Amino acid sequence: MNAEEIATDDSVVTDMADAVPATTGQDRGFVAEDIVFDASDLSVYYGDFRAVRDVNMLIQRKEITALIGPSGCGKSTVLRSFNRMNDLIPTARVEGNLLYRGVDLYDPRVDPVEVRRRIGMVFQKPNPFPKSIYDNVAYGPRVAGRKKGLDDVVESSLKKAALWDEVKDRLQESAIGMSGGQQQRLSIARAIASDPEVLLMDEPCSALDPIATARIEELMAELKDEYTILIVTHNMQQAARVSDRTAFFSVEVDETSDRRTGLLVEYTTTEKLFSNPDDERTENYITGRFG
Amino acid sequence: MQNELRGNFHEDLDAVRDTIVTLAAHVTEAIPRATDALINNDLEMAQDVIAHDDELDLLSLQIEERCYALIALQQPMAIDMRSIVTAMKINGEYERSGDLAVNICKGVRRIYGIALSPTLRGLITSMGDEAVRLTRVSVDAYAEGSSGLAAALPDMDDRLDDLQVDFIQEIFAAHARGELKLEETVQLALIARFYERIGDHAVNIGERVMYMVTGESPESAGAARARAAAHETEDVAPDVSEAE
Repeated sequence: MNAEEIATDDSVVTDMADAVPATTGQDRGFVAEDIVFDASDLSVYYGDFRAVRDVNMLIQRKEITALIGPSGCGKSTVLRSFNRMNDLIPTARVEGNLLYRGVDLYDPRVDPVEVRRRIGMVFQKPNPFPKSIYDNVAYGPRVAGRKKGLDDVVESSLKKAALWDEVKDRLQESAIGMSGGQQQRLSIARAIASDPEVLLMDEPCSALDPIATARIEELMAELKDEYTILIVTHNMQQAARVSDRTAFFSVEVDETSDRRTGLLVEYTTTEKLFSNPDDERTENYITGRFG
Repeated sequence: MQNELRGNFHEDLDAVRDTIVTLAAHVTEAIPRATDALINNDLEMAQDVIAHDDELDLLSLQIEERCYALIALQQPMAIDMRSIVTAMKINGEYERSGDLAVNICKGVRRIYGIALSPTLRGLITSMGDEAVRLTRVSVDAYAEGSSGLAAALPDMDDRLDDLQVDFIQEIFAAHARGELKLEETVQLALIARFYERIGDHAVNIGERVMYMVTGESPESAGAARARAAAHETEDVAPDVSEAE
């Protein structure tokens, strides 16, 4: 059963009206039918270690949602749980609920490959395959069995990734020779080629210079017209610049075991979070005053 | 114990606050000196207050430039951003209050030599005292980050407004009795207006302090009316802070 079939299966679909906003500011401007993800009491474990606990978040369609917080707060773990990337880690497991379009993403009947097609991912370091630019972009559709119309897919994906004009005359050249910024936009084009609805970006600019970073940020603003984007970033200014909503994660340390567990502290509109956050922990973090 | 990751930046922010407090202290001293000049027909003191205003202008300019630099260099957020925005706003309010003390002193020159009745002298003294009190409370509210003190300012200002009304009535009566010439009456009415404006600036400062502390701006009566009118006609101008 693929996600599409599950989406039409009444036994699996959960009523969106049940989605209970639980964190400060969650109710700001969400439209029920446009909620892409609904995480409730989501916790992620590595073995018996709880890496992040009790995350409650709604993700609105065609918005950019930023996840920020100090190292070890679980923001990347949460991001990876949104397309089941954590499945690739044998000891990882998820508790709580994570609905994608009303479908339980972790329902055993859901095909994780289909999940990752619909919910693409762009990683911290650009990771082009040692193939031509064309083959990089065509890779996903080919794996999915597509044989016709690949030229069109490659061209439109590269255009959407704002890379077409730079590479259209050298599509058969190796992607390895591209600059870091170009390689990252190629990674985005490759993700787009599989026709996803959501793009997850894990520190997509941390390996790039400021100009390449600005290009990616501009690109994100354009991609927002078509895609829902979640971005993990260490750069608070970047979160402030590009995102519509921001989630601030923090870390709590268990005194006895010295184990650190991430938690969602505050999730609201980006403007509110960076100008007048409700939680003192958010304020201390974004102003550089750590308690 | 709090660990500071941006210690230098926050020291700079503290320095801006301290400079604003210094500016406000100068203004608070200029007002009673202007009042003394008025009551005592003291042209020398009036000139002194006028000359001293250049220093206030310089201080104000330095505060403004420092705020611009901090915004450009530090990308302040949350309370830091609100503190800088507040500093820039109230900097202008204090600078303007200093100008109003100067205006009072210029009025002193224009009406030099007139004899003020004990009633008028008493009212001027009271207006001066209230203007100083309001300015002092405004700077206390700012320096302490006290929304409580800031919230008290509008009510305190009512007292100064009442004194101004009493003063205007008194000078009109004195003019009717032939004790004041028309030009003198007009000059004194303007002077009363200057005191009243100092109170208004203190109230504005209180509103900015409320924003700094709470993140919410107290809505002015005019803004509330405009919002209500837009809501009635549903002809929008939506509240951008809520528009998502």
